[in-house]
Amino acid sequence: MVDVSQHELVPDHTVVDDEEIEDVLEEYDIKKTDLPKLQRLDPAAPDEASVGDVVRVTRDSRTTDQAVVYRLVVD
Amino acid sequence: MSSQQTPKTIGSLNFGLMDPEEYREMSATKVITADTYDDDGFPIDMGLMDPRLGVIDPGLECKTCGKHSGSCNGHFGHIELAAPVIHVGFNKLIRRLLRGTCRNCSRLVLDEHERDEFRDRLTRTRELQEDLNDVTKAAIRQARKKDTCPFCGEVQYDIQHEKPTTYYEVQQVLSSEFSQRIVAAMEGDEEEEDSQPVSPQELSDKTGIAASRVQEIISGEFRPREEDRKAIEKVLDVDLTEEDMNKLMPSDIRDWFEDIPDEDIEVLGMVAERSRPEWMILTVLPVPPVTARPSITLDNGQRSEDDLTHKLVDIIRINQRFMENREAGAPQLIIEDLWELLQYHVTTFMDNEISGTPPARHRSGRPLKTLSQRLKGKEGRFRGSLSGKRVNFSARTVISPDPTLSLNEVGVPDRVASEMTQTMNVNERNLEEAQRYVANGPEAHPGANYVKRPDGRRLKVTEKNCEELSEKVEPGWEVSRHLIDGDIIIFNRQPSLHRMSIMAHEVVVMPYKTFRLNTVVCPPYNADFDGDEMNMHALQNEEARAEARVLMRVQEQILSPRFGENIIGAIQDHISGTYLLTHENPHFNETQALDLLRATRIDELPEPSGTEDGTPYWTGRDLFSELLPDDMNLAFTSEAGDDVVIEDGQLLEGTIDDSAVGGFGGEIVDTTAKMYSKTRARILINEVASLAMRSIMHFGFSIGIDDESIPEAAEEHIQEAIDNAYERVQELIETYDRGELESLPGRTVDETLEMKIMQTLGKARDSAGDIAEDHFADDNPAVVMAESGARGSLLNLTQMAGCVGQQAVRGERINRGYEDRTLSHFKQDDLSADAHGFVEASYRSGLDPKEFFFHAMGGREGLVDTAVRTSKSGYLQRRLINALSELETQYDGTVRDTSDTIVQFEFGEDGTSPVRVSSDEENSVDVEGIADRVLDEEFQSAEQKQEFLGERAEPTNLSEHADDWWMAEGDD
Repeated sequence: MVDVSQHELVPDHTVVDDEEIEDVLEEYDIKKTDLPKLQRLDPAAPDEASVGDVVRVTRDSRTTDQAVVYRLVVD
Repeated sequence: MSSQQTPKTIGSLNFGLMDPEEYREMSATKVITADTYDDDGFPIDMGLMDPRLGVIDPGLECKTCGKHSGSCNGHFGHIELAAPVIHVGFNKLIRRLLRGTCRNCSRLVLDEHERDEFRDRLTRTRELQEDLNDVTKAAIRQARKKDTCPFCGEVQYDIQHEKPTTYYEVQQVLSSEFSQRIVAAMEGDEEEEDSQPVSPQELSDKTGIAASRVQEIISGEFRPREEDRKAIEKVLDVDLTEEDMNKLMPSDIRDWFEDIPDEDIEVLGMVAERSRPEWMILTVLPVPPVTARPSITLDNGQRSEDDLTHKLVDIIRINQRFMENREAGAPQLIIEDLWELLQYHVTTFMDNEISGTPPARHRSGRPLKTLSQRLKGKEGRFRGSLSGKRVNFSARTVISPDPTLSLNEVGVPDRVASEMTQTMNVNERNLEEAQRYVANGPEAHPGANYVKRPDGRRLKVTEKNCEELSEKVEPGWEVSRHLIDGDIIIFNRQPSLHRMSIMAHEVVVMPYKTFRLNTVVCPPYNADFDGDEMNMHALQNEEARAEARVLMRVQEQILSPRFGENIIGAIQDHISGTYLLTHENPHFNETQALDLLRATRIDELPEPSGTEDGTPYWTGRDLFSELLPDDMNLAFTSEAGDDVVIEDGQLLEGTIDDSAVGGFGGEIVDTTAKMYSKTRARILINEVASLAMRSIMHFGFSIGIDDESIPEAAEEHIQEAIDNAYERVQELIETYDRGELESLPGRTVDETLEMKIMQTLGKARDSAGDIAEDHFADDNPAVVMAESGARGSLLNLTQMAGCVGQQAVRGERINRGYEDRTLSHFKQDDLSADAHGFVEASYRSGLDPKEFFFHAMGGREGLVDTAVRTSKSGYLQRRLINALSELETQYDGTVRDTSDTIVQFEFGEDGTSPVRVSSDEENSVDVEGIADRVLDEEFQSAEQKQEFLGERAEPTNLSEHADDWWMAEGDD
C-alpha cells in the first residue's frame, strides 16, 4: 500500500492532545462537533487517530506560508 | 395575515405528523356534500365552500371568526374517510416500518444490544448534524435480516412495495403442483448419470414419513405439513414452494402500526409524542380553507372552481359511494375497487406527478395542479413566491451608450424618473423645495406623485390639486418626489453572475426612452447595446441609500474580487485612441492639444514639449501625462511590447494600450485604484476615456475591406506556400497508402496521418499569415487594434488577408457527411486537404461553395457549444450559490455556516480580501514595496525616517577581514 502521508501534496496531519483541543475550542467558542470533519478511513488520517480525536492539518499556503486547520475524526 | 398585526418572533418550529384527533378538533366543519353552491349562488352548508371555511366574496362575513374577506385567513374543515388510506408522502417510511417491525407483536425486530447501538449512533449523527436517514436505514437493514421476531418468535416475511401505495407480504407456501414436482424428482434426471430414481419406500425411509402417507402425498390427496415438506425437499433436492403475495390493506397496516411501542420508534429516529406511525395512514382528511382554493367568477357569470376543490369533490363522491356500498353489503371485490379508487383520489390530491399513477386530469385534459405541484419547482411556492418576489420602484428598458456620462452615472429617461419616487421628510429647511416639487405636479419632471400627512393619510398629487396641495405641505409631511440628478439607484443586468452585476449609479435625468451608461461599465455587466435591457431599482430608505453609495457605487467596484485587479478600464476605441496618441508620440499644436484635453478637467496646457519652426508643440505622451497622479512612478511592459516608464506622473516613454489603461488588470488604472483612491481611479478612467475618444477622432479611425488587401505578388507567395503544403499532404497520404507511415507513440497510423496533415496545414496557414502580415503597415487599423489589444488578434488578420485555414468539428478535420466522403463532390476515401474542410481562401477573397459549407459546419459547432455551455454553467452556478449561500465570515475571521460549524478557520487561509491584496503565481505580495510606502507616509522628513530605521553600521576597525563583510553589505 502506498503511504500517502509521504506524498508532497499531502499536508502534515498530527493528532493533538486534549489541552490543545481545549485551547482551540475556547479560541473559537465552539463545540468539538463544530470543527470540520475528517473521515477515520481517510487515507491521509494518521494511523493512531481514532474517532473523536482532533487532527491538526498544517499545509503550505501561498499567502500565509503555513495554514493550520483542525479536524474532528469521525467514522 | 392582516396588516394590523404586529410581527412576532418565531421561537421554534416543530415538524411531525398530525394526530387525526387534532384535525377533527381544529376543523371548522365536517364536509359531507360534494356540491359547492346552491341554485341561488349561496354556499351549501357542510359543502366544500361552507362559509365556516372562510370567505372570499367581499361583503360576506366568516361564520367562524366573524371577519370579512381579506382579514379572515380561512379555516380548515375535514372529511371523515370511509376507510383508511395511505398518505403517499410517507410511502417510503411506511415501507421501512413494515420491514423493520414484527408482523405479530409490532415490535422493532432488533434485540436490546442492537437497539442501544443504533440509539448511540443516532445521538452521534445528531451532534454532527449529519443525515439521520443513514442510521435509520442501517437499522432497518439490520432488522430485515432477522427471520424471526426476537420477542414473540413469529416468522417474518418480506414486504414488497408496489409504488406508490400498495404493500404485499411475500410468503413461501406449498406449491399447488407439489405432487407433480415430487414425482418428477423421484424419477430422477435422465441426462445426469449419478441421479437414481427414488422409490416411494426409500423416500419414506429417508424422511421418516409413513409409507401410506407418502403415497397420499404423491397422489396429491394430502398436503404435507411444513416439516414434512422440508424433509422431502432435502431428500429429493426440489423446491416445493411458490411465492404467495398477500396484500396488506391500509386498515391492516394501521392496526399493525398502532401496536408499535413508543420506545421502538425512537430507535428509528421518530419522536412518538409528535409522530405516531399510524398517523401516516389517513382516517380523516383535512380540507384546506376556501381562501387557499378560491373560486373565480368568469365573465359570463359562471363559477370556475380551483383544482383542489375539484379534487376534493372527487374524494367526497367516492367516499360517499364507498359508504353506501358497504352498508348495502356489496361484495368484497367491489369494496376493494372503491377503496383503491379512494386511495387514488387522496394520492393525487396530494401529489399529481407520481410515477406509475396516471395524473388526474381536468375535463380539458390538463393535469390538475394539486398540493405538491403548488410547492414544487421554479414557479412553486418556495422558489417562485417566497425566494422570488416582484418588487415596486423598479424599471426596465433598453440600454444605450453615452460617453459624456461619468462611469458612476446612469442616464434615466424622464418618464422613468417621474414614476420612481424618493421619500422626502419635510422639515423647515427643505420646506420650500418640497413645496416646489408638489407644485410641479405628477407630470412635470421634478415633481411629486404622493404626499403623506402626519396623520398617515396618503394623498395623490394630481394636475388639478397640485397647486393647492403645495400650499398645505408643512414640516412633518412626507413628499414622494421624482428622481432627480444625483439620486442613488441600483442598476442590474441579468444574469447576475458576480457582484459587479448589481451596482449603484447616480441618476442623470435625460430625455428619450433608454437607460444611458458609460461604455467602460460594459465589461462588469457584460452588456452591449444590441438590444440589451437592464433593470433599475429606486432605493426607499436612508440606510439603503447610504449603503449603496458607500459600498455599491461603480467606483467602489473597480477592483474585481475574482482576480484582485481592476475590471473596469478603457475598452476598444479608448485603447486604440491612447495607442494612437502615445505610440509614435505625435506632436500637436496648441489648438489641437486643447481640443484633445477639452473633455477633461485640465483647462490649462502644461509647458510645451518643444518648439518646431518657432511654434510650440505638445507631444501625445505629455498630454496623456496630464491625467496621471502627479507623483506616480511605474514601469511595466506594454501590450505592444515596449517598456513604459512613468516618473513623477510623467509618461517618459512607452505606449499606453490595453495593459496600461485597459480593464482586467491595466497597470495604471490598477495602481491608481490601489495606491491613490477609488475616486482618483474613477477620475482617471473617465478622463482617459474622454481623451482617447478625442484623440481617435483627431486621427480618424476606420476599417474597410481594402485595409486587408495585399499586393498580388504577396498573394502569389501565399498561394505558393499553400500549394507547397498540399504537396506535403499528398506525400504523407502516399506514404500512408504504401503502408510506410510510422505511427507516433500511443496512436494508430490513421491518427498519426490525421495529426500530421493537421500540423502541415496549420503551418501553411501560419506562413500565409506571416506573408500577409509583412505587407501591412504599422498604421493599418487592424494591426493597431490587434497590437494595442483593443480588439481582434493577428489570427483574425491572417484569416482576413491570408487563409482561413482548417475547419474542425470536435477537434478533428471534417469527416462527416456521405459514406466515406464529406460531400458528393469528392471521391470516396479522399484524404486530401480540401476534401476535409481546409479553407484555402481568405475572408477578403471569399470562400468557394464547398469551403463555405465546411466553414458553416465549424461555425455551427461553436454556436451549439456556447448554447450548451451557458445552460450548463447556469445550473452549476445555481448549485454553487445554494451550497455557499449560508456561509458567512464572522468577526473573528472564521467562515461558518448557519449552524456555527467552522468551514474555514481564517477566511481564505490568510484572512485577506482579494480586492485589497493581489498576488498570483508570478507576483507574490510585494511586502517590501508596501513597507517602504508605509514608512514614507509615516515620516514627514528623511531625518525622522532615518532616526526610526537607525544608523547604518559604521565600518569596523577591528580587523582587516571585517572590511570585506562591510563592503558586501552596501556599496557606499
